[in-house]
Amino acid sequence: MYIAMGGAILLAALIGAPLFAVILAAAMLGFHAQEVPLSVITIELYRITDTPLLSALPLFTFTGYLLAEGNTSSRIVRLTSAFFGWMPSGLALVSLLTCAFFTAFTGASGVTIVAIGALLLPALTKAQYSERFSLGLVTTSGSLGLLLPPSLPLILYGIIAQQMGYGEEVQIKTLFLAGLMPAALMILMLALYSFWANRDNPAPLTPFSWGEAWDALKEARWEIPMPIFVLGGIYGGYFAVSEAAAATALYVLIMELFLYKEITTKELPGIMQKSMVVVGGILLILGVSLAFTNFLVDAEVPTQLFELIQTHIDDKLTFLILLNIILLLLGAILDIFSAIVIMVPLLLPVAIGYDIHPIHLGIIFLANMQIGYFTPPVGMNLFIASYRFNKPITELYRATLPYMFVLMAAVLVITFVPALTFFFINDE
Amino acid sequence: MSNFHDSIAGRLLRRVHWFEDSLLALMLLTMILLAVAQIFLRNIFDTGIVWGDPLIRVMVIWVALAGAMVAGRNNSHISIDIISPWVNFKTLKLLRSASTLFTAIVCGIMVYHSIDFILLEVEDGSMAFASIPIWVCELIIPIAFTVLTLRFIICFVLILTSSATSSDVSKE
Repeated sequence: MYIAMGGAILLAALIGAPLFAVILAAAMLGFHAQEVPLSVITIELYRITDTPLLSALPLFTFTGYLLAEGNTSSRIVRLTSAFFGWMPSGLALVSLLTCAFFTAFTGASGVTIVAIGALLLPALTKAQYSERFSLGLVTTSGSLGLLLPPSLPLILYGIIAQQMGYGEEVQIKTLFLAGLMPAALMILMLALYSFWANRDNPAPLTPFSWGEAWDALKEARWEIPMPIFVLGGIYGGYFAVSEAAAATALYVLIMELFLYKEITTKELPGIMQKSMVVVGGILLILGVSLAFTNFLVDAEVPTQLFELIQTHIDDKLTFLILLNIILLLLGAILDIFSAIVIMVPLLLPVAIGYDIHPIHLGIIFLANMQIGYFTPPVGMNLFIASYRFNKPITELYRATLPYMFVLMAAVLVITFVPALTFFFINDE
Repeated sequence: MSNFHDSIAGRLLRRVHWFEDSLLALMLLTMILLAVAQIFLRNIFDTGIVWGDPLIRVMVIWVALAGAMVAGRNNSHISIDIISPWVNFKTLKLLRSASTLFTAIVCGIMVYHSIDFILLEVEDGSMAFASIPIWVCELIIPIAFTVLTLRFIICFVLILTSSATSSDVSKE
C-alpha cells in the first residue's frame, strides 16, 4: 500500500508536478506511516522562522533582480575590458570575470546569460573569436561564480547544514571564504583553456588605455564599492550576513532609483513581484523539505543509507568519485536549489561518516551543480542560451563540451585537494 | 478575454492579485528598512528594537508564501520537466491534468491539517513577540495553501475544458 503510494508520488514528480507538492506528499505519506498526526507538517514549515539567516535569501534575490534590470551589466563589462582587455585572450578573460561577479550577486538563475551573455557574445565574435568558442564560453560562464560570496546557493547550503546541527562547522562567513580559491581555480583553468583554444588564431591585441580605464571606473563608481561593502561589513564585524543582505538591497535600490536613475518607482513593484516569486518557489520547497527531512531522520534513513554504502565502498577516495558522478547527474536534472534542499540532508551525514568536512562537501556539491547547469540534455543554461541566442540546442551541446571537461578537471582538483577549500580558513 | 476582464470573477481576481502584490512589496520594504535600522541602532547607539529580529523572521515566511501564491498564478513552481519534450500534445494534456490534480489534492490536505493546527494554537494562546500571538503569524500557512488549492483546481478545470496546455492556460 505505502509502496504503491510512494510509486504514485514518484510518478507525479516525473510527469511534472511541482516539486513542493511531491515532497509534501512524501512527507505526509511518511508521517502517516509512522502514525504521526499530519499537523506536524505545519510546525515544520513554520520552522523556517527559526533561521535568522533566511532573510538573506529574499533580500539578495531582490538585489540581483534590481541589478539585472539596470545597466550594471554593461558597466561591469566595460570596466573589466578596460583593465583586462589588453591581455592575450583578454576578452575571454573579461567574459569569465564579469560573469563570475554578476552570478555571485544574482544567484545563478540564468540571469547572467540573459544580461551579460547578450553583451559579450557579439563582442567576442567581433574580436574574431570563433562562434562556437564564444557560444560555449558565454553559456559556461553563466553559472561561474556560484562559489563566490554572496551567492545564494552557498547561503542555502549553509542554512541547511545549520538546520541539521552542524552550525559550529558551517558558518556562512566560513563558507564564503571557502569558495574563493576553488572559484579562482575554475576561472584560471577556463582562462588557460581559452588561451590554448585560440593559440592558432589569436585575437588582435588592444592596448591598455589610461583614459578608458578612468572613464570606465568613473562610470561604475557606484557599483565598485558593493563587494567591499558586503564583505567588509561582514568580516569587519559591523553586520551579520542577513543584515549585509538588507544593507546591499537598500544600497542598490538607492543606486538604481536615485544615482543612476535606471529604474523608476513605478517599475519597482513588478521587479519585487518577479523576484519574490522565485524566492517563494525556493522557500516553499525548503519548508516542506524540513518536514520531509525530519521524517527521514526519524526513520533513520541517512544512517541506513550510510551503512548500505559502507558495505560496498570502504574508502574515502571511491566514495568521493561516486559522489561526483551522482552530483553531476543530479545537477543535470534538478535545479540547484531543489538539489541542495533535497540532497544535502541525505548526503551530509554520509559524507561526514567518510570523514569529509561539511564545508568541503558544500564546495564539492556546488562545484558539481555548476557543471550541471550546462550538462546535456537538460541543463538549464543550455535552454536559456539556446533561447536567448536563437541557436539550436544541439549546437550548444557541442559548444559547451570542451568547457565541461575543463571544469570537471577543476572539480576533481577541488575534491582531492581540500587545502584549496581551506586556504583562507585558519582553524582547519 | 475582454469579457472575462470585466466580469465579477475577473475583478475579484484582480483584487486578489493586487492584495498579493502589495503584500509582497510592503513586506520586502519593511524587511529592508527594519534590518538596516537595526544595523545603525546597534553600531551607533548600541541599542536595537527588541521585536525587530523576530518580526523580520516572520516576514520571511509571509513573503515566501505570498511569493509561492503568486507563483501558482502562472504555474511557475519549480518542477522536473523531463517528459514533455518527448510526448505528443494529447498525452501532455493528460499528464498535465493529472499532475495538477495531484497538486490540488496535496495542497487541499495541507489546508485541512494546517487549520486544525492553527485552532490548537489559538487555544494554546502563546505569544510570538511583543503582544502578537503565534497563531496570527502562522495564519499565512492555511491562507497560502487555500489559494494554491483553488489555483490548481482552476488550472485543472481549464486544462480539461480547453485545448491548451497548462502553461498556455495560465497566461490568462
